[in-house]
Amino acid sequence: AAPPLSPAVRRLVEEHGLDPSQIQGSGKGGRILKEDVLRHIEAAKAA
Amino acid sequence: MADSYDVVVIGAGPGGYVAAIRCAQLGLRTACIDKWINKQGEPALGGTCLNVGCIPSKALLDTSERYHELLHGLPARGIRAADVELDVPAMIAHKDQVVRDLTNGIKMLFKANGIHWLQGSGRLLDNRRVEFTPLAGGAPQVLEADNIILATGSVPIELAAAPVDGELIVDSTGALEFTEVPGRLGIIGAGVIGLELGSVWRRLGAEVVLLEAQDTFLYAADQQIAREALKHFKRQGLEIHLGACVTATKAHKKTVTVSYRDAEGDHEIKVDRLVVAVGRRPYTDGLIAPECELLLDESGFIHVDEENRTNLPGVWAVGDVCGGPMLAHKGSEEGIAVAERIAGMHAHVNRETIPMVIYTQPEIAWVGRTEEKLKAAGVPYRAGTFPFAANGRARAMAQTAGMVKILAHAETDRVLGVHMIGPMVSELIHEAVVAMEFGASSEDLARTIHAHPALAEVVHEAALAVDGRAIHRAR
Repeated sequence: AAPPLSPAVRRLVEEHGLDPSQIQGSGKGGRILKEDVLRHIEAAKAA
Repeated sequence: MADSYDVVVIGAGPGGYVAAIRCAQLGLRTACIDKWINKQGEPALGGTCLNVGCIPSKALLDTSERYHELLHGLPARGIRAADVELDVPAMIAHKDQVVRDLTNGIKMLFKANGIHWLQGSGRLLDNRRVEFTPLAGGAPQVLEADNIILATGSVPIELAAAPVDGELIVDSTGALEFTEVPGRLGIIGAGVIGLELGSVWRRLGAEVVLLEAQDTFLYAADQQIAREALKHFKRQGLEIHLGACVTATKAHKKTVTVSYRDAEGDHEIKVDRLVVAVGRRPYTDGLIAPECELLLDESGFIHVDEENRTNLPGVWAVGDVCGGPMLAHKGSEEGIAVAERIAGMHAHVNRETIPMVIYTQPEIAWVGRTEEKLKAAGVPYRAGTFPFAANGRARAMAQTAGMVKILAHAETDRVLGVHMIGPMVSELIHEAVVAMEFGASSEDLARTIHAHPALAEVVHEAALAVDGRAIHRAR
């Protein structure tokens, strides 16, 4: 099963229409932290 | 021309007023219509919760608990007060002051956020229009709004066998206003409201008898917790009859005769006051114009989807009026989410993590699923429990009743439900709510450092107990 998302991560993922499986999680057990999503969004912008 | 707004909210309870504030924060031109008139005869914001619900009941619970403690708890700890006096009108006045301060606080928040407080009643017309009828009199006015949030709340359910007369037979509102302690108080309904009101008057000296139609005590709670609760309440002198259906009441000059039927047959009791606390129903009286095709469900709740949209475009409903658990924090969260959706943001209300609290003594609180629900759903789980009696802080406070129980998935260890009965569990439950919001495992809680000595250590130990490794308990 996919690791659970925290409330703030859930909001960011929905708002930006992201697929969580495409985001590199740096938390315990690969968990996606808010900072990971922000980094992912920045990287997408830069690309 | 009709006044126009981005958002018109009908109802200024926890759902409506919070929605209005969030809308205003997001730059929406917002009006909030409310028709509440307080005890002093003035329009007041805050709805049921602030005026006749959560807040006043907590004020009375706290005051009555201190009185009871002074008489029955503290002498054993070396504090003996001579001539302890109970001044019920002063207790009620304190409660009224708390209510006034807080409802005035909302008024200030409305002002600071530029929300138009329209004092009167609102009626939903078609085509995103609302008819506003001022309390002060004058012609009704039609408002236009891009979005309308219905937050009209709930009212006590009436019981044909026990019609409220406002004197001897009252609802929850009346039970917050007694000016003297009833000798014998009857309460129909042993749910949250009945138990809290019963506790208040029991602590102040009333004999309290609760008649509950359900056979199961606190059927929505984890039954291990419910059994523990029933034991403590009985010890406190709350007389609780389960499976007792009230068939008739007869009000005399100063007493009420209550007839009820249970498995053993027909019974009759005589009480000085009777409280009807059998539940609450959604309040939509006068809300919907006939041309409006707003969908209600069979119980009278406004039908909404997961995101609180009604069947009419631009019309939303939040809180007690749209079903789900009738809790202030549930309504407020829905209000925030709807405001954010209106502003084009994404929002989410996690209905799996709404905490439930009963402010009795010991307090009861839970979040997530009960053991019974997990069993029924066939979910494999492990349970860990830990008693407050083995906690240093609880002992120092002389409040050792109760326990914490954690239910975690047997394979993933994810926390599925946390159930508490004990001191301050209304506060302790939030650690569990946060943990569940983050999808924590019981091991996450077990490996989190908890201050010593603290009541929260019981949560820590219960999490350890899921894996059979609680420290302060012999196996």
